[in-house]
Amino acid sequence: MMPPPTELPRPRALLAEITYRCPLQCPYCSNPLELARYKSELDTATWVRVFEQAAELGVAQLHLSGGEPLVRRDILDLCRVARDCGLYSNLSTGATVADAKMIERLREAGLDHLQVSLLDTEPESNDRLAGAPSYDRKRDAVLTAKRIGFPVTLNVVLHRHNLERIGEVIDTAFAWGVDRLELANTQYTGWAFRNRAALMPTRAQVERARRVVDEKLAASTGRLDVVHVLPDYFEEFPKACLHGWGMVFMAVAPDGAALPCQTAREIPGLEFPNVRDSSLEEIWFRSDVFQRFRGTDWLPEPCRSCDRREIDFGGCRCQAYLMTGDATATDPVCHLSPQHHLIAEALAEAEKPAPPLAFRVMRT
Amino acid sequence: MTRDGGIRRPVLAPHTRYRWDKVRKEHQLVFPEEMMLLNEPSAAIVKLCDGRSLEEIVAALKEMFPGAEPEDDVREFLGQLAERGLVNDAAAD
Repeated sequence: MMPPPTELPRPRALLAEITYRCPLQCPYCSNPLELARYKSELDTATWVRVFEQAAELGVAQLHLSGGEPLVRRDILDLCRVARDCGLYSNLSTGATVADAKMIERLREAGLDHLQVSLLDTEPESNDRLAGAPSYDRKRDAVLTAKRIGFPVTLNVVLHRHNLERIGEVIDTAFAWGVDRLELANTQYTGWAFRNRAALMPTRAQVERARRVVDEKLAASTGRLDVVHVLPDYFEEFPKACLHGWGMVFMAVAPDGAALPCQTAREIPGLEFPNVRDSSLEEIWFRSDVFQRFRGTDWLPEPCRSCDRREIDFGGCRCQAYLMTGDATATDPVCHLSPQHHLIAEALAEAEKPAPPLAFRVMRT
Repeated sequence: MTRDGGIRRPVLAPHTRYRWDKVRKEHQLVFPEEMMLLNEPSAAIVKLCDGRSLEEIVAALKEMFPGAEPEDDVREFLGQLAERGLVNDAAAD
């Protein structure tokens, strides 16, 4: 094989979605709507090969995710392999299948960091959104992890049903003693796009939330690293999705499909190479799909001549496709997009009463 | 408060790891979702954040980089890391 082109960047992070199975039914899950199409999961040996190839390729950070990664029986082995490869490992869990012993074993296996999702600070609301009783287990998992010195991020996805309690979210993060708090407004792809009208907050909610976060953090003296991801629908410019397509990030889905973004399967017409057939290096440097939106040559106007083209690379491809039907369009979040009116329409819809939520299910 | 936040015994925060990237030949300070690339002196400082005192770190750097007067730079750099929660003070816990 030809040596890899030296001018191309190498990936720094690998998202390993080791399973789509999950006991929870969060209505904003980033997994595909057609979950049942991807039931065949990679075996342990293939994941081990993927992690080794990732380290050789220049990946520094491994995110073990899902679905619920703890339903994989080989999860401890996978953590050990990540450590042996020199990868910094994070595991994102709903924590409902993590008892104290499991958390201790994850630490012993060399996992560097644990990320626990919380859906709401009100237990009833958390359990309703998750589709299962889970608040108590999440709290217990965080407290156990902190008792043994495990670094923990609490991740709370924000939307119209919990944004009013953003202050309580910060209080909870302090009370549970986590190291980091991700206040992540819903990204409207996957199940969240399906539920957009039911999840989108009002402008008043968003502005109040921003104020509450600022005030709370200004008044706090404790040690907590807060990452506040604002909802991009309310912004002037699109986000630099994954710092650009095929620039620093790759994902591998449970069935072995290599994706430039975990939701890229929503874009029709893209063919995803599989790690069962190709090495990560071949996929990263040579596959069509990783080149498809890499860099700036493919950009449409008004992005192509825009000063921000190296900042946001035209925004999110999945969002462009989902909203405009054209994956090569400027992300409509951008106020310069000819289709920016679609955002305004979605925000106007958010001022009306919310329709019911559709919960994530694996239809068979 | 001084520029270094008054740190006496700097240690890397539990969620932070120093890492040598053998592919790119670069020093990295890795933490969730992000990483900081370090030059040689910064990497040397980070690797000395093992609970020894600030004075000991400065002394060790003087041995590694003869002729350097690193104290101000060390205080400023550690202050920045502490500000971002990447370094804690073992003396404060």
